[in-house]
Amino acid sequence: MADSISSTCNLGFLDTLSETSIHEIVESYSAFCAATETLLNGAGDLSVGPQLVSHVHRLCSHGLESLVRDHFLGALERTFEKDGASKFWRHFEAHDDVSIGEQVFYNALEEISLEKQYQEKCLLMLVHALQTYGGRRSRDSDDVSPELFAKYQLSVSSILMATLPRKFPDILNWYFKGRLEELSTIMAGDEPRGDEDEDDRDDMELDEKCRVSYRSGQMEIDECNPQGRFFDNNKLVNNIGRVVHDLRSLGFTSMTEDAYASAIFLFLKDKVHDLAGDDYRISVLESIKRWIQAVPLQFLHALLAYLGDSVSYESASSGLKSPLAKCPASFYPGIDTPSEGLVRWQLRLEYFAYETLQDLRIAKLFEIIVDYPDSSPAIEDLKQCLEYTGQHSKLVESFISALQYRLLTAGASTNDILHQYVSTIKALRTIDPAGVFLEAVGEPIRDYLRGRKDTIKCIVTMLTDGTGANSNVSGNTGDSLLEELNRDEESQENIAPEDDFHTDDKQAWINASRWEPDPVEADPLKGSRNRRKVDILGMIVGIIGSQDQLVNEYRVMLAEKLLNKSDYDIDSEIRTLELLKIHFGENSMQKCEIMLNDLIGSKRTNTNIKATIAQPSHTDAGGELGDNRVSMDILDATIISSNFWPPIQEESLNVPGPVDQLLSDYAKRFNEIKTPRKLLWKKNLGTVKLELQFEDREMQFMVAPLHAAIVMQFQDQKSWTSKDLAAAVGVPIDILNRRINFWISKGILAESLGEDTDDHVFTLMEGMIDTGKNTANDGNCEDLIVGDEEGESSVASVEDQLRKEMTVYEKFILGMLTNFGSMALDRIHNTLKMFCIADPTYDKTLQQLQSFLSGLVSEEKLELRDGMYFLKK
Amino acid sequence: MKVKILLFWWHAVAAWTWDAQDETCGICRMAFDGCCPDCKLPGDDCPLIWGACNHAFHLHCILKWVNSQTSQAHCPMCRREWQFKG
Repeated sequence: MADSISSTCNLGFLDTLSETSIHEIVESYSAFCAATETLLNGAGDLSVGPQLVSHVHRLCSHGLESLVRDHFLGALERTFEKDGASKFWRHFEAHDDVSIGEQVFYNALEEISLEKQYQEKCLLMLVHALQTYGGRRSRDSDDVSPELFAKYQLSVSSILMATLPRKFPDILNWYFKGRLEELSTIMAGDEPRGDEDEDDRDDMELDEKCRVSYRSGQMEIDECNPQGRFFDNNKLVNNIGRVVHDLRSLGFTSMTEDAYASAIFLFLKDKVHDLAGDDYRISVLESIKRWIQAVPLQFLHALLAYLGDSVSYESASSGLKSPLAKCPASFYPGIDTPSEGLVRWQLRLEYFAYETLQDLRIAKLFEIIVDYPDSSPAIEDLKQCLEYTGQHSKLVESFISALQYRLLTAGASTNDILHQYVSTIKALRTIDPAGVFLEAVGEPIRDYLRGRKDTIKCIVTMLTDGTGANSNVSGNTGDSLLEELNRDEESQENIAPEDDFHTDDKQAWINASRWEPDPVEADPLKGSRNRRKVDILGMIVGIIGSQDQLVNEYRVMLAEKLLNKSDYDIDSEIRTLELLKIHFGENSMQKCEIMLNDLIGSKRTNTNIKATIAQPSHTDAGGELGDNRVSMDILDATIISSNFWPPIQEESLNVPGPVDQLLSDYAKRFNEIKTPRKLLWKKNLGTVKLELQFEDREMQFMVAPLHAAIVMQFQDQKSWTSKDLAAAVGVPIDILNRRINFWISKGILAESLGEDTDDHVFTLMEGMIDTGKNTANDGNCEDLIVGDEEGESSVASVEDQLRKEMTVYEKFILGMLTNFGSMALDRIHNTLKMFCIADPTYDKTLQQLQSFLSGLVSEEKLELRDGMYFLKK
Repeated sequence: MKVKILLFWWHAVAAWTWDAQDETCGICRMAFDGCCPDCKLPGDDCPLIWGACNHAFHLHCILKWVNSQTSQAHCPMCRREWQFKG
């Protein structure tokens, strides 16, 4: 064998070998093999050492160094495989589960480490032998030892890797997880104490503590911790450090790193989920960061310190110095800056924490926005996370799908959708002041709301709500748009003076330097951020499309409100109007202003008329209707400029004689004072407060004039047929039948069938019969029952107005269809647009036209087939 | 069983109108019940005025007209000499 090896090197050399030297070689080689065998299996017996050395020297003198090395390494390898590795794995085989006992793990590691140490000692002996031989021959053989050790290390790890059981990584994972939990418990136990310390420590104390703590104790968390706990940790961390060290020496470096990294990340994830939970009213980001500092980073810090830190991170380039690198070293710069490796770990952990929290929050964004003002801490957290991770598009996608699934369904009321929309705007405004993502998120909501009929009404209600409610309910005005109006006013005031400075070069420079590019997700079609402004009102109005529609709806609502007022108190309406004027411009609110002005004027005129009117009936006080006189005191009037009010529902009504008398006196006086103006009463409008006095009880009501007129007819006559009553009150029978239900439901009147089936008979109820129904009112005459309007409004709704306006075009449309036979909707629309330019200009939308045409279809004037309109034959 | 009804108040609603024969002002073509183009508030702030010929105009409109005539002003409707109805 020796020959064959040598022959590959130098065949000529063989010839020079004498018989004796061959014999010597063979002899010493077999002796060397035997010595090696004894040494490796000798279980710590190093006595064969000197023998080995001499054999080695002899073999070397024949130039057989490489043979010696190869044989020795081979023997080491075989022994390790036989004794070390298989024994090591047998420790784990006993357990099917990954959760072997901690002690078993330690024992296994210790055993194999001892084995390895022993073998290393043997290897060292060989190296020593080689070196002494080399030294004698004064040849430079320093490089022999690292090479040998590297080879040995390689063979050890390859043996272990080759025989690795599949569950070993899991075992490592389990081990680190367990240790982390232990550490976390220790830390958590001391948390409160740490906080207290933080309060009363001063710099001196801090210094001291730092010095006695870790040799490189740069972590802030260390500085303020009591020593006792520190030693606890130290022991634990030392254990872990030893394990990692052992594992590394066995060649499991990357596997170990994977294991503790994944354990840390899993643990961190659990912690984030645990801390974040479903409570959105507190900010959790800080506590997560603090926890990262306290547990995993400290763990890593200790670990890296134990392992000498430089092992795996030497190559870290200083270019990666992050803004997050803490600089507590300001006290003693240069000594205690955190190592590069630790900073990288911190960055990784924090990014992971941000991402986890962000995912958690994004998944629950819908709920968070539902209780928005309360959940703003969660929004703040999310904002910070997103700033760090930049995954805004994730938010947009997930939130839109949540919206589609949960909000934009037929089951949600328009009001809820609008409120959620406003909350969304407010919340996302925090996250993204430029409004880019808001644009994307808002789009589906806007589209959906446009399809709802009551959107405008709800918006107007939101705009005006809270006007009546003063400070006592300010708590829930969170989603009232009125507040937005207020804010808008303030911001406009603030902007006004600033505009002057814009010309200033300095200001321009400041603006320019403040410029930031739009986020990548920005839609370039939507214009740059300068033109985009997150303005809630603007976005709300944007749903409707035009502000005219909104103003119109507001006017109708305002009219309704004003006409049903029994006093002239309009302060809150004035305030709202002023705010709306700022936002929508004075001109568009002109009519509303006149309406409010009418109320103010009415109050003045009313006082004036009542003070100056001749009152012949002054002697009889009170409103006794028994005499045909009522005092002028009970009459108030709202006098309107009808041209500026929305069209008003006119119904004829015969008010009771005495009141009618009052009305005409009032009108006459008005005519005297304000010649040449006169009054036209809208008798069906207004409110009446009256009291019904029965023999045994009294009841108060606030009702519409029609109700009052009806019930007053029953003073003289206890029973009326509906026909007669309708004639007496002066309204059509069907209206009477509908409105009289109010009194029937209150138990004042009873309805019965008369002789004629069409004719109902209404009778005044006898007091006792209905006591059951109105017990509450008995003896409590102060009860004020407000007559419900039953959906009857005094002002024509916007739809009614539209229908009225559209009738002008009916002739055009019918004429068109006569000429062309059949036409599609948009053709009719375009033709009208083209030809109706003169007074009145055709300014309706396609939708308005469509609804008008479908009205005509239902009136059987037109026919609709396959999208084409025909004249009904 | 009899019921007696006591009225506490009756809050009525009325619309005012100018007691003129025509609907719109002959000069500005705006409704009398509205106001002239220069005014914002109708009613007392933008009154009507009658001429001796019984034609009515917004006060502001006819004044503008009268002031713009160099010599004697005439009623824009009937060309009679304009005299305010006393």
